[in-house]
Amino acid sequence: MRDAYLIGAGQSDYGAFPAESYRSLFSTAFDAAVGSVPKGLEPGAIDEAFVGTLGVGGRQLGLPGPAVTEHVGLDGVPCTRVENACAASGYAVRQAVAAVRSGMADVVLAGGFEVMSDTSSDATKYWLGVSGETEWERLSGTTFSGVYAQMASAHMDRYGTTREQLSHVAVKNHANGAKNPHAQLGFECTLEDAMAAPVVADPLNLYHCCPTSDGAACTIVASEDVVDAYTDEPIRIAGVGAGSDRVGLFQREEYTTVPASERAGESAYEEAGVGPDELDFAEVHDCFAIAELLAYEDLGFCERGEAGEFVASGATGPDGRLPVNTSGGLKSKGHPIGATGAGQIVEAYKQLSGDAGDRQLPDPRCGLTHNVGGSGGAAVVHVFERQPIEEVAR
Amino acid sequence: MSAIVGVGAYAPRFRISAEAFEEAWGRFDAAGVNGKVVPAADEDQLTMGYEAATRALEAANVGAVDWLAFASTTPPMAEEDLTARLGAMLDLPEDVGRHVLTGSTRAGTRGIVAAADALAGGISRALVVAADAPRGEPDGEIDHAAGAGAAAFVLEADGPARIVDVAEHASPYPGSRFRGTGESTTDGLGVTRYDRRAFRETVGAAVDGLSVDPDAVAIQAPDGKLPYRAAGDLGVDAETIASVATVHELGDLGAASVPVTLARALADGHGSILAVAYGSGAGADALVVEVDGPVSTALALDGDDPLGYAEYLRQRGVVTAGPPSGGGAYVSVPTWRRSIPQRYRLEAGRCPDCGALAFPPEGACPACGSREPFEPTTLTGEGTIEAVTTISQGGAPPEFSDLQSRAGDYAAAIVAFEDEGGETVSAPAMGTDAEADAFAVGDRVEATIRRIYTQEGVTRYGFKIRPAE
Repeated sequence: MRDAYLIGAGQSDYGAFPAESYRSLFSTAFDAAVGSVPKGLEPGAIDEAFVGTLGVGGRQLGLPGPAVTEHVGLDGVPCTRVENACAASGYAVRQAVAAVRSGMADVVLAGGFEVMSDTSSDATKYWLGVSGETEWERLSGTTFSGVYAQMASAHMDRYGTTREQLSHVAVKNHANGAKNPHAQLGFECTLEDAMAAPVVADPLNLYHCCPTSDGAACTIVASEDVVDAYTDEPIRIAGVGAGSDRVGLFQREEYTTVPASERAGESAYEEAGVGPDELDFAEVHDCFAIAELLAYEDLGFCERGEAGEFVASGATGPDGRLPVNTSGGLKSKGHPIGATGAGQIVEAYKQLSGDAGDRQLPDPRCGLTHNVGGSGGAAVVHVFERQPIEEVAR
Repeated sequence: MSAIVGVGAYAPRFRISAEAFEEAWGRFDAAGVNGKVVPAADEDQLTMGYEAATRALEAANVGAVDWLAFASTTPPMAEEDLTARLGAMLDLPEDVGRHVLTGSTRAGTRGIVAAADALAGGISRALVVAADAPRGEPDGEIDHAAGAGAAAFVLEADGPARIVDVAEHASPYPGSRFRGTGESTTDGLGVTRYDRRAFRETVGAAVDGLSVDPDAVAIQAPDGKLPYRAAGDLGVDAETIASVATVHELGDLGAASVPVTLARALADGHGSILAVAYGSGAGADALVVEVDGPVSTALALDGDDPLGYAEYLRQRGVVTAGPPSGGGAYVSVPTWRRSIPQRYRLEAGRCPDCGALAFPPEGACPACGSREPFEPTTLTGEGTIEAVTTISQGGAPPEFSDLQSRAGDYAAAIVAFEDEGGETVSAPAMGTDAEADAFAVGDRVEATIRRIYTQEGVTRYGFKIRPAE
């Protein structure tokens, strides 16, 4: 099996851009990704594409993939749309890795996009809720804020997790996002601000919830056979793991874990031959503050029930034992659904390339990204390793 | 012969006082009404009827009937046989005889009379459900008086509360109270003496041929004064009416007025009861009920959640914008219909291979993965909250934003529901009948049926949860 490498990644700004279209945002991300390839890349070298999008607004429900790849001039390149709700483009990257490993393609584009700010708030809520379990969960009156709030209620009841601990996630991620020029909500907030925000779905307040966003992100994956044409400091996609689960939270045995994340993490660690202790940073799916805490536990960053204390201790801050969401996470950087998974990998690429600006970590070598669809119906985890060219397996 | 063997009655928890109206309007037009019932935003005549009917069936300690009538002047659908849904909610056999009675405030007693006829004709057990929530123009007497409530009676050929005599009378008196086809509010010309004469003449004539010396009179009460004007025509004193009257606290209950009042008279242990219903047009029914033994009753008519006038308008949807334009979750009507055994009766499934419970009972077994069809098993409707949130303003999906505008924050929970043996299976459910903060992890709850939402003109009913009694 051939190894796959991350040779480029870039994103548009995340935010609300009435002057942009989904195609123009994708174009920006595509150019940024191509431009980030250390030794340059002729777009004609791309021989396969995977594009993630939920399709919010219904603007191009069918064939959204070719609609953007043809727009950026990838004439005739096979393109597949990947849909796994908020994990769409995380899964698109996994497809890219599979295409490379199988020998089907040598240079693959994997990205995603979403435009969420140009519909009415009611229409947006409709689209946000369509990835939950519709017949029962949705019709008990919940969208995702409600479902994650239910998870928070169970975690608080079982482990004594507090609202203040949830708010620490917002404080940390906003502090990180303030250093990210692409972030939608790139401002710092105090614990007092985060605690005092209006309630959305108790116990979650506004600062426990990510925004809705417009944006696009692209990554470029290359095979071991061609990687040295593009970089002298290859970043190996050392481990990929994925897992699915029942779409409705009520259909799962427990509400204080996301089994799909756990499964995805275990597979990715095993394939990469590393464990959580070897990680230098992680980008996890913090659509809601409780989601980041659950990720800590599901991915083995801390013991079950201890995530609240873990974040409050500063362990996942930029100077902590395991910096998490240096990009600002979904909370501060933004969450354009279909772009989010690829956008997390953009941060991993920047950190491992030493190109993360004010938020650059000191010489990271191994990072993880974790992307969840819905409340855990799908999850995908990637582990990336920076290695010099002589170590590239042949 | 026919007899009442079980009685149920229900009124929603919200109340508004005459004083609250006076504050808002500078006056209150419903004479003799001190306060009245306001149905919650997720209640209607069908759900109130369900609440009364489950209580009547439980009081009678019977599971099935072979005849069903549903009576209301304001059925939630003007055309559609609501007894099909009500029968499914109550798990009645599908070959039960069914009748919908409407168009007159004496529809409730017409149901009882028709049940008596059916029993005489050979059926063995009947269920009569009367539920109403009249509506008028907000500035008028009819709307000021309009309450909400339901009563249900299980009848058999013989029993402790025998219907020993029945009479009726009708005479043309158009214009005293009417609602045109397609209109949503009931109106009247307000010709006071004419209206009064229509009432007194028809109820008096209906009672005229009966031989009765009642110790309680359950009489139609469009307001709190008119019933007493007929006391002389009935040959009773005001106290005989007042002792069981419901209009002073519950308001005008329309077709459920006499049924709810009769239910109270039976619950209070009266021995000889005269029930007199009046419907504009005008006609009257009179029934004599002689009680010679204890009648099993289950009344839930108390409520102590007061509303201000603005909240009253909100709950009733008078000042809210209705469903948003952005669309809601789309569950097609055929898909919804497939889930009716779960929505109405919490029918779960048991895996034939490993015995685990599943809800909804479809797909692979959650425990062992078996694809064998589940064996149907009904949950008790009681359970414990495992996870819960309060959905605040703006957090509701669009299909629930109208409900939230009307009713405010609501609880959304995951509940571990129990089967008869105490095994549990989880299902999501919206909270009702209590404030959102009355639901917490670990709390005991019970299921009831409410309106879930309306799409494409079709209201979907299903279970919600309330704090366990």
